[in-house]
Amino acid sequence: MTFLAPLFALALAGLAIPVLLHLTQKEKKEVVYFPSLMFVRKIPYQASRRRRIQHWFLLLLRCAALALIIAAFTRPLWNRADAPIALGQGAREVVVLLDTSYSMGYGPRWAAAQSAARDVVARLGASDRASIVTFGSGTEILLRNTAEHSALNGAIATAKPGASATRYSPALKVAGSLLAESQLPRREVVLISDFQRSGWRGQEGASLPAGATLTTVPIQAAATRPNLSVTGVSLQRSRFANQERVTVTAGITNRSETAVMNQPVTLEAGGLQVASKTFSVEGGASTSVSFDPVTIAGRNYKGTVRLGEDALLADNAFNFVVSPSEPVHVILVDRGGAGSGLYIAQALAIGDSPKFDYVTRQPENLSDDDLRRTSLIILNDVAVGAPLARRLQKFVEQGGGLLIAAGSRAAWPREVDLLPATIGNPVDRSRGDVARVGGIEFGHPVFEAFRAPRSGDFTSVRVYGYRNLGPAPGAQVLARFDAGPPAVVERRIGAGRVLLWASSFDQSWTDLPIRSVFLPFVHRAATHLVAYVPSQPWATVGQVLDTSMAGAHKGQSVPTLVLTPSGNRLPVNGDGSEVIELSEQGFYELRGDTNSTGEMAVVASNVDPAEADLTTMDPQDIVAASTGESQSDGVQPTGTPQTPETRERGQRLWWYALLLGVGLLAAETVVSNRLKV
Amino acid sequence: MSTETHEIPGARFMDPKVLARIGNLELVSHAVVDGFINGLHKAPYFGASVDFAEHRGYVPGDDIRRMDWRVWARTDRYYIKEYEAESNMNFSVLLDVSKSMDYGGKGIKKIDYGRIIAACLTSLVSHQRDRVGMAAFDSDVVEYVPPSAKHLETVMHVLDRLNPGRPGSLKEPLHKLAEHYGRRGVLVLISDLYEDPESVVEAVKPLRFRGNDVMVFHVLDQDELEFGFADASPFEDLETGEQVPVVPDSLRKEYKAMVQAHIEALGKSFSKVGVEYQLFDTSQPLDYVLFKFLSARARKSRRR
Repeated sequence: MTFLAPLFALALAGLAIPVLLHLTQKEKKEVVYFPSLMFVRKIPYQASRRRRIQHWFLLLLRCAALALIIAAFTRPLWNRADAPIALGQGAREVVVLLDTSYSMGYGPRWAAAQSAARDVVARLGASDRASIVTFGSGTEILLRNTAEHSALNGAIATAKPGASATRYSPALKVAGSLLAESQLPRREVVLISDFQRSGWRGQEGASLPAGATLTTVPIQAAATRPNLSVTGVSLQRSRFANQERVTVTAGITNRSETAVMNQPVTLEAGGLQVASKTFSVEGGASTSVSFDPVTIAGRNYKGTVRLGEDALLADNAFNFVVSPSEPVHVILVDRGGAGSGLYIAQALAIGDSPKFDYVTRQPENLSDDDLRRTSLIILNDVAVGAPLARRLQKFVEQGGGLLIAAGSRAAWPREVDLLPATIGNPVDRSRGDVARVGGIEFGHPVFEAFRAPRSGDFTSVRVYGYRNLGPAPGAQVLARFDAGPPAVVERRIGAGRVLLWASSFDQSWTDLPIRSVFLPFVHRAATHLVAYVPSQPWATVGQVLDTSMAGAHKGQSVPTLVLTPSGNRLPVNGDGSEVIELSEQGFYELRGDTNSTGEMAVVASNVDPAEADLTTMDPQDIVAASTGESQSDGVQPTGTPQTPETRERGQRLWWYALLLGVGLLAAETVVSNRLKV
Repeated sequence: MSTETHEIPGARFMDPKVLARIGNLELVSHAVVDGFINGLHKAPYFGASVDFAEHRGYVPGDDIRRMDWRVWARTDRYYIKEYEAESNMNFSVLLDVSKSMDYGGKGIKKIDYGRIIAACLTSLVSHQRDRVGMAAFDSDVVEYVPPSAKHLETVMHVLDRLNPGRPGSLKEPLHKLAEHYGRRGVLVLISDLYEDPESVVEAVKPLRFRGNDVMVFHVLDQDELEFGFADASPFEDLETGEQVPVVPDSLRKEYKAMVQAHIEALGKSFSKVGVEYQLFDTSQPLDYVLFKFLSARARKSRRR
């Protein structure tokens, strides 16, 4: 056993203190005043009693406590080869976790990270094995369990920063599973990263196998140039001369400490640069730049806001896709007269997202051409004959939406099974208590907007008359009248949906049309029936792209190919349903035919702006969370001989000595108190 | 005990709880002390009063106003009418204010305890229309208030401002005081009696010579009785300033035996000379101690 701080042993001279206490300090120095020593004087004084140690156990206890505390300060460590921690014995299984998030492209960091990884490989012994794992938000095993240095260095050389953000937990889990499979006696993980705060959200279940060590290699080289990033854009649509235009406003953040002046920012649209501006921003501040409106030339119009070169290039471009807003075509089937269709028509005329383009038809005038063009048909209190009913059934089965208001004139042929409920006899509630709407399924998309308090009260709607509905099998009752009969019933037929309202859309039977809930109810019902999904101008790297949902409109063929920003062609399943993770920055194009050049849909992919924040964290947080210790037990991944300090840190004998010393002091207190008593 | 001074001097000694507890006893009779209640006992001296006692023959020098002229008219002899004097009793407290009384281990100081006893008894006696006085002494007489029916407030004032400061002795001051108490009365001596029992009795005896009823209240602290000190320390005598290293554990047993012997010797010696002796431990409730003592006095009186 040796000591790191042997000079502290001089304090052992302090052991004389308790001995002296025993020998000389038995008597308190404080004088006790007593009324009269008349009797005390008569008793012979025994001075010799104080010079004898009476409590040997107490003395030994005090000396041992002091000796242990002093020993703790001398920082002892074992020199034995079979010390509790195996020191440099046996082959190693090393997993090199190499951060390839886009922030590693900041300044010279990537070169430094590669160099650090090569150093780890160079220090591998002949019997050691290593794996190279790159990680961002996802994880990729480049090379698994090999001892070939050339292959390992080759894997390191081929790796490069991607467009994803940093997530440590998945990488640590992969490393843990690799180590768990290994049979080698020493298992180590080397984490090479810039250790951004945004990449660590606590433990998240990332723990390495018992005995495995984690060594962190922080790469935090600073760049000389400033770092600007486009954090997002806002798109404001407007119409001008019958053309739709969009005004792009970009948010720009200066992540560096120094201010930048008159930096250029450009707007590219349709592959061409259409505008350029300059801006100035202080260090650590943000600004916004608005470009002149740009006419949306066609569907899937690609746009990019781009900054000049700086220390981190990945966050300098922000992509988006805009398409001319497409109205939802609606046919309002109405008998006309007495303003019965007035309210529903007015409700459809309001709103831009989406915009409803409606036409009114008499039931007998509804042509097949109308059915092909429209997405939603509203039957406003009309009697439908069997031929029309069959055509509507076909329309719904192909994905169309059907909204029915069952007023006094509504009728439906029994032989056509389309409606969610049979329309029964009218119920007159104009006398006595009027009917109220309740029992609403707020979890349904139509009524979800009314779930929160003060966001629309359906119970205030007065219904003076309604039709008794008998729900069909498979239909869902979304709302009921206070007496119990269904008020709103929905049913899925084929690819489409049918929604039935048991009363009218005018004021003949209800005051619903003049209530505040009418407009949102009609809009929610319409968008739900046509399965309207607002288009997202952009997505973030790491999100997944569902090709079946991406712009696949009714009547269009399914996509068969996805063209990635880097030019790779990813085939899609036969049914067009494929989930693809966005891993690159740029535009993903979904194409219907391998030979086709025109895209069905385009998805703009951008890097996670949070990754541009280079604020670092303490790597020890990750070490502590994944290994349960503050540092990797003194085992260095280099294989070099350990210093005494490292060994001492691993053994921590001082801690046990201090603990024992304090425990003895506590025992001394108890024992001495007992003896006094 | 609080040492703060109240607006009414001496009021801090008039603990109502203590007085109330004593008042519950049958103190209203002379059983406790002769003459405690005005009019309930007959004075041993003849004097001016309204109750006729006897006739006696005239001797030259008698006041002729006291001559019974009716007897002279019937018998042609001179007789003097004598009446029973309903005299009030003299009551005095003799309080030891030597430095050794200025000790209070964990609670009240002995001098304060003595003050309270003195104040309570003085107040009680004064309310019975008897004359009250007091004297304080250490190695000499420090204060002297002669007994008087109007001296209650004076006694309280004097008690309030007493401060122990000098070493004390019993013989000289008590012998001096004995000359002041010529008329029979009740004397209460309050002291810690740090002298040999023989010396103490010798000092107290003269107080009895003129027929005074003497009570000795021996006041000691719990520490003085039990010697409950833990740590070895130098002990300093409060009166002489002498220091002695003391290991309490080793001499506690002997000390307690000596103190007990001292107390027993005092009790026997005082009993022989007809002095009522009572040991007061300052940790004991005051009213309980007074109750106990006065009850004992009552029993003694009934036996007489």
